[in-house]
Amino acid sequence: MARNSSGSRPPSSSKHRKPIKSVKKFNASGYAKRHAQKAAKSKARSDDFYEYAPEKSRRAKIGLDLDREEALDAGIGPSLGSDDEGDFEDFRKKPRLIGENDEDDEIASEDDEEIDSDAAFEEEDEDRFAGFFSSRSNSEDDNSDALEDESEEDEESDEDEKISISLSDAEEEATGALDDLQNFISSLDPSSSGNKRKASMDGGDFNNAPTQSKKRRVLRERTEAGTESEFRTKGAGLTLTDLLAPLGESSTSVSSLEKSVRALQPSSGEASKKRPQTLSAPLPQRAQERLDREAAYEQTKEEVNKWNSTMKRIQEAEHLSFPLQAQSQGKVSNLELAAKFKPTTDLEMTVSRLLASANMATDASVLQTEENMLKANALSVEEVTERRRELRRMRELMFRAEVKAKRVKKIKSKVYRRLRRKERNAGEGAEDPDEDNEEKRLRMERDRARERATLKHKNTGKWAQQMKKRNGYGEDDDDEGMRSGRAEIEDMLTRGEKLRRRIQGQDSGSEDDSDDTEEDDDDAEAAFNELQELRNADDDQDAEAAGKKGKSVFEMKFMKDAMIRRQHEANKMVDDFVKEMGGDLREESEGGDDDGEIQDDSSVVVSRAGGRMIFKPGASISHQQQVSNNGDAASAASSSTLKSNSPTSPITSTSGRKNSSRSLLSQPQASFSANATLNADINPWLAGSSESHKAPRKKNEVIVAKDSSAMAKSKNKLKKEARKAAGEKEKANDDAVVEIQMNNVLSLAGEDAGADSSTTRTMAQGKKSGDKGKQKALSSAEVQQDTDEDSDANSEVEEQERTLLKSKKGQKLQAIEQRELVARAFAGDNVVKAFEDAKRAEIAADAPKEVDTTLPGWGSWGGAGTTKVKPKSHLIKKVAGIDPKSRADYGKGHVIISEKKDKKAAKYLVKDLPYPYTSRAQFERRMEQPLGPEWNTRVGFQKGTLPKVVKKMGTVINPLEKLF
Amino acid sequence: MVKISVLQHDPSSHLPTRPGDPTPISRNLNPNMHPFARARERTRALNAAKLDRIFAKPFVDALEGHVDAVEVLAKQPDSISTVASGSWDGGLIVHNLPQRSRMLHVPEAHKGKVSGICFSENSKLLSCGVDRNVKLWNFDSNGDEPVNVFPGKAAFNSIDHQRSSQLFATASNLVQVWDETKSAPISNLTLPTSTETVTSVRFNLSETSILASVGSDRSFCLYDIRTGKAERRVIMQMRSNALAWSPTMPTSVLLASEDHNLYTFDIRHLNAPSNIYKAHVAAVMSCDWSPTGTEFVSGGWDRTVRIWKTGQGHTPEVYHTKRMQRVTSTLFTTDARFVLSGSDDGNVRIWKAKASEKLGIVTARERAAIEYRGSLVDRWKMDKEVGKIARQRHLPKPVYSAAKLKTTMLDARRVKEERRRKHTRAGESKPTAERKKVVITEQS
Repeated sequence: MARNSSGSRPPSSSKHRKPIKSVKKFNASGYAKRHAQKAAKSKARSDDFYEYAPEKSRRAKIGLDLDREEALDAGIGPSLGSDDEGDFEDFRKKPRLIGENDEDDEIASEDDEEIDSDAAFEEEDEDRFAGFFSSRSNSEDDNSDALEDESEEDEESDEDEKISISLSDAEEEATGALDDLQNFISSLDPSSSGNKRKASMDGGDFNNAPTQSKKRRVLRERTEAGTESEFRTKGAGLTLTDLLAPLGESSTSVSSLEKSVRALQPSSGEASKKRPQTLSAPLPQRAQERLDREAAYEQTKEEVNKWNSTMKRIQEAEHLSFPLQAQSQGKVSNLELAAKFKPTTDLEMTVSRLLASANMATDASVLQTEENMLKANALSVEEVTERRRELRRMRELMFRAEVKAKRVKKIKSKVYRRLRRKERNAGEGAEDPDEDNEEKRLRMERDRARERATLKHKNTGKWAQQMKKRNGYGEDDDDEGMRSGRAEIEDMLTRGEKLRRRIQGQDSGSEDDSDDTEEDDDDAEAAFNELQELRNADDDQDAEAAGKKGKSVFEMKFMKDAMIRRQHEANKMVDDFVKEMGGDLREESEGGDDDGEIQDDSSVVVSRAGGRMIFKPGASISHQQQVSNNGDAASAASSSTLKSNSPTSPITSTSGRKNSSRSLLSQPQASFSANATLNADINPWLAGSSESHKAPRKKNEVIVAKDSSAMAKSKNKLKKEARKAAGEKEKANDDAVVEIQMNNVLSLAGEDAGADSSTTRTMAQGKKSGDKGKQKALSSAEVQQDTDEDSDANSEVEEQERTLLKSKKGQKLQAIEQRELVARAFAGDNVVKAFEDAKRAEIAADAPKEVDTTLPGWGSWGGAGTTKVKPKSHLIKKVAGIDPKSRADYGKGHVIISEKKDKKAAKYLVKDLPYPYTSRAQFERRMEQPLGPEWNTRVGFQKGTLPKVVKKMGTVINPLEKLF
Repeated sequence: MVKISVLQHDPSSHLPTRPGDPTPISRNLNPNMHPFARARERTRALNAAKLDRIFAKPFVDALEGHVDAVEVLAKQPDSISTVASGSWDGGLIVHNLPQRSRMLHVPEAHKGKVSGICFSENSKLLSCGVDRNVKLWNFDSNGDEPVNVFPGKAAFNSIDHQRSSQLFATASNLVQVWDETKSAPISNLTLPTSTETVTSVRFNLSETSILASVGSDRSFCLYDIRTGKAERRVIMQMRSNALAWSPTMPTSVLLASEDHNLYTFDIRHLNAPSNIYKAHVAAVMSCDWSPTGTEFVSGGWDRTVRIWKTGQGHTPEVYHTKRMQRVTSTLFTTDARFVLSGSDDGNVRIWKAKASEKLGIVTARERAAIEYRGSLVDRWKMDKEVGKIARQRHLPKPVYSAAKLKTTMLDARRVKEERRRKHTRAGESKPTAERKKVVITEQS
């Protein structure tokens, strides 16, 4: 409102200027008081009504002042002038007591405001505060407006004060006299507290405030109030609630509006209640600018911090390739090219013309053409669905196949893979496994046929030719004859084959080399029994066949031979098996069959195996005899091995061994064993002893017949090796024993040692016997504990050791003797002293020393009477060695640590850990891997040697561009 | 006929499949098969270090034309060949480096020395001088007359152009920001309390609104044209002669100080430099970053040009020539391959940034060998011999003796300080770090 009324400014003429200013000042001084009062009342009444009160109080004061002045100067007009203190009080209380008086008050206040605003709000001020006021909400009511004005006045007050001070010198004496009175009066005023505060703040200036201005102002105010009140509406009564009232209670929005407005309504009152919000005085320019700079710096820092991640990345990068921010070269798409394309050459023109003629020049036309074509095709819905279904099925199948393939691919089983591979191979050959089998069989058949063909020459025999002539028919012309004939021929062939093998020295029982199955004892027993039964049955059959003596082929000699041989083979197999299983079949067989065996003392063995005579030295049984004895089940070799196991007939066993095609033993050994057996024959004691028993038994076991199974062979070999090792061990033991027990030398051992040289086995045996002899000599009381008949060599060794130990324990005296022996043996070696000497020499060699390099005779007088010249200092060469006390082995008695340095290796050593590395291990790891292309792959080499900064030749490297 | 058996090898196993491909090699990479790998590599490293020194011929050419000392050098931001130089006699030359030709030669561009040059866009060039003028030249049209003249009130000491805009800043006793299209400065950024001469001003290359200046009052001052204020001032022990902003580290600024050292500051932490670079034996007069930000060049009153690796505050590469006098300005070219130095003798010299680099075409094999040699030397530089060869540089006697003297003096000072600490109460507190001694105060 004040602003609106600024048009009524002219009243403040040049004459009135001063007073107005002083009024302004006054207003300012009363500002606080007014506010306080306003706040107090506005709380009680929302009406504009009591707003007047502070004005009133101010006016009262003015009035008082004027009064005083009037009294002094013989005043201007009556006005409030003649009021006494009591009057003043009454007047002051009036608005509170009488509510109806408001109109007058109102007018008065308005006047007051107007003047204030006029004075305070000059044109330039308007400009200055324009922004400030415009920012305020327009919805504020008069009260707030008024308040604002007042506050502005307050701001202006400083300036006004100065002016007033300068102008009021004329009235100074008067005001000085009135000070006391005024103070008194103000103390009476209830709102004087604010006044006082103000007074104390402003000091004397306030009290000296011009009085004349007040007087004039009051006059003017009064007239104005009087005149204008009549034309004025009750503007003060208009509040926000009044404005909102027409909206009515009906709408719900009103309530919400009221809510939002409520914040505005009491605000004026509360604001007025607060202490005056004066802006603090601006800081000195320097301080202000410093603060600004600091704020600006913070902002800049913040801005720069946005680069943090980028900088970090650059700093930590292993390689930097410049330019860092590569410019994205715009890639041209096909569409772009097509759009730009204009045919220029002839060819292009032709092509484009053709395309145009085919209506395919542009995309749109191509689309059009295609659509047309589709339309022409005119597929029915069913067809389309059918096609789709087909497609879907195909997709499904493909998917499934894929899934399956994936699953199959994951299978890691080797067996499965193998089977799979076979299957695949088979798949290549034949589709059906059955067919495949058939074919395989056929192929095998063919092979067999070929073999048969190759063996045709075996049919050159008389019988074979005859059989051939007879077309495979046997003696009888009927079917049976034919069958038998064929069978015989076949038999012959197989025999021929086997014969061939035999001649070639191959193992006929090669089919026997299957793995040995581990059966429990019962099973084995049963098997043995079965075998026995079978054998018996065979025997019976043989006997029957022999009794028949028909004219059949089986009666022929070669057939018989073959039969016998087969029998032998079977027997051998059986025997081998039994032996393997450790069965005691042999006793039974012995009991049953060996009655037919005849020992021949002749030294030449004539064995007939497979139709060929083999002559060998040594005694043997004649097969013919066996055959004549109606095909004894046991073959010569097998029976001999079996026999040899029997402890009762050592001679047979040796002969059996000799009978074997392979001679394991050399002649002397053989003779020795023969001797032994002879001895055994002669001396029953010796024969009875385990020793004499064992030797042949052992030998027998070692025998490996040509035709024995691979299993047996390997087993034998193992045993042999074990024995060999044992023998060596024994030997070592022997040596040890011999070394110490010098006195216990047995002459018998020498003989044995002389005897054994050919094979380790015999050697071991010889040793064993020697040992035993020794032991016997050592302590006859000790009885040989070798009761078990186990053939294992290890057991013997153990036993030996045991005995050795026993002997040691028994005789401690002997140990002492040994120590003595040792001492005597090393009598000359003074090891400790030698070591100390060596260390001393080493230390002396390394110690720092001075070498006199003077050449004798040079630079000195010779002859008699010459004094010996001291060596010249420059000719004494000092060798900086290593101080004995700084040596690494100083004070360590048992070591010599060399202080010599390898100069060549020193090149590759570093004193300290080089800079970027943090640990020795790290450094070593880095240096471990060479860089060069010889020790790296090509890519590894390139990576390893890539420099940290890579620049592109001839390109500008721009600084980092801000992209955010 | 005698039959001869010949061992035949499949050519694909020992010949490259295509011409130009590397020859396929088949080697056993098992380290146990190469017991002497380390010894061989060391020998190679030694040879590489020696070769590097043998091939170290850094001097490329000298560009003549100035009558007096070359005061300033400036490079065109988006060109690898264009470089401008201004001298004490007021001459201004724009050089074309590969052709060794002058694109512009103005003998009397300014009265008195040309104190600053910077390139604007579109082959334009701004130069300022002690004659209180900033002149805008166009070196394409080859006219000897300036396109525009911006008169100032005091002698200008330095000028720099903001990257990709119309703004440029000058340093006299004030720091002013100008617009190319306006004849008067658009703002004055000087710190109100500053009364001394500002010797150099530079815009940040990435954060383009930030600029910094160094002055004769030993100050380094930071400004921002967004806030339009001087923001912070650092007073140091000695004045700085030049400054340069890192092209890859926007917060990093390099100062060439009168106390023989160079300092890098992080503008976020101005209380201490982030690095000190010590090797010059006289005041450092100029400095410039390599565009890669991994190196920088400095020229000093000790007649040497030194090329430093960022973060390595010692043993820089050092270039010198008998006829080269005090180096007043240095520059890295925009492709980071060459270094330029302008010196008191009036010549602008072109040096290779890497002394032993081969100029001309380098084949792939050759490059692989060079890289291999480089990494070998780098790996074996901890070796006594290799390291010595790689490190050692022969210096002119005055420089060498000055360095020796300086070392002696510093040692003596250090010893004295140590003793003082040992025998007084000063020893009770920790010694001040060298970095902390540089800055006296940081003002806002």
